[in-house]
Amino acid sequence: MTTTSDIEDMIARMAIGDRAAFEGLYAATSAKLFGVCLRVLGNRAEAEDALQEAFVKIWRNADRYRVNGLSPMTWLITVTRNHSVDRVRARRSKMGAGLDEAADVADSRPGPEALAIAASDRGRIVDCMGQLDPDKAGAVRRAYLEGETYQELADHYDVPLNTVRTWLRRSLLKLRECLSHDG
Amino acid sequence: MTDEFDRDEEHALTAEYVLGLLTEDETAAYEDVLSVDPDLRTEYAFWADRIVALTDDIAPVAPPPHVLTRIRETIFHEAAGDASRGAGGSWLRRLGLLPAMAGGLVAALLVLWVFTTMMPPTDGGDAALTYVAQIAADDDSLVVQASFDAAAGSLSVDRQVGAAPAGRALELWLIAGDNPPVSLGVMPEDRTATMPVSADLASQLSGGTLAISDEPAGGSTTGAPTGAVLATGQVTDA
Repeated sequence: MTTTSDIEDMIARMAIGDRAAFEGLYAATSAKLFGVCLRVLGNRAEAEDALQEAFVKIWRNADRYRVNGLSPMTWLITVTRNHSVDRVRARRSKMGAGLDEAADVADSRPGPEALAIAASDRGRIVDCMGQLDPDKAGAVRRAYLEGETYQELADHYDVPLNTVRTWLRRSLLKLRECLSHDG
Repeated sequence: MTDEFDRDEEHALTAEYVLGLLTEDETAAYEDVLSVDPDLRTEYAFWADRIVALTDDIAPVAPPPHVLTRIRETIFHEAAGDASRGAGGSWLRRLGLLPAMAGGLVAALLVLWVFTTMMPPTDGGDAALTYVAQIAADDDSLVVQASFDAAAGSLSVDRQVGAAPAGRALELWLIAGDNPPVSLGVMPEDRTATMPVSADLASQLSGGTLAISDEPAGGSTTGAPTGAVLATGQVTDA
């Protein structure tokens, strides 16, 4: 099983150009990260491109990983999620706001080499999200996992942009309050 | 109250940043502060580490093998460069470098330093050193130093020790990958001089090999080296 410190070590070695470390990191994390790309982009070809580009970024920025204080899986997922969101937004602005071809994600099955990655105690966010109004929790998920902007959330919930921003910020503070009671 | 307001504002902004809800300007402003404020980085890490848990229930999916192939091609591009430099070696053998070194056709140690510098406009700051190449043979009777000025598109050559054999000329060649050598021109008789380099050739300098051959006065007339290759130097990132 690949542990958090294994991943940290691989990132550190990638920073000095260690190819074996890259191969190890890819084997350990690519299935999870590809899942994230598929979830955000909902399209296999685009998800493949996004994963490729995310790993190139990870390789090139490995030396800066330590500065940001994130746990290694958080960093890897954040880079991948942010890159996928950039792509989904570029696609939407190209197509005009509107329908995502949702799609072939449903066919996705966990790959055989999916490795277990030490999960931090993350159950807390599920509890805390559960304490939010379902609309607000839904908006947080839409922003994070679909890359929706305030404008898109406003359209979706059919409220003015400023209103959605106000209520989402209030919900986020409530979420933070709950999360900070984290054991 | 103000403190509390600021703290709430900081918390909310950070959450919005992590969710990607800030505008481009807000994001840039946030990142400016993030880069210098350790407290904000702590807040950012707090949110990032927890929000990422929203991906916990996303099932892993093995990506198809060609994705890994494409990533390797991109990030190990230097590896491809190494391979072509290796192939370049066959050219060097054809050019007769190895016999030249072994037999001492020219008793020389030729050190060729090539500094490929991205020169800023003349009023700019320090030049950024991007490439260095070095060649050494048996003794130190010839030393050449050169630097590439990208802005001017020219190679400055400083022949610090040694010279062409009497009645002969030194010609400089670029070998990019497995391509045949392309002439960069005959090195002027002056110890220091500049040699123009076309943009096309300049773009091939990185990872390439430079060679100097012994040619008739005026240089090779065939478009390829005709005399002994006296030395070569690999262009590497500085």
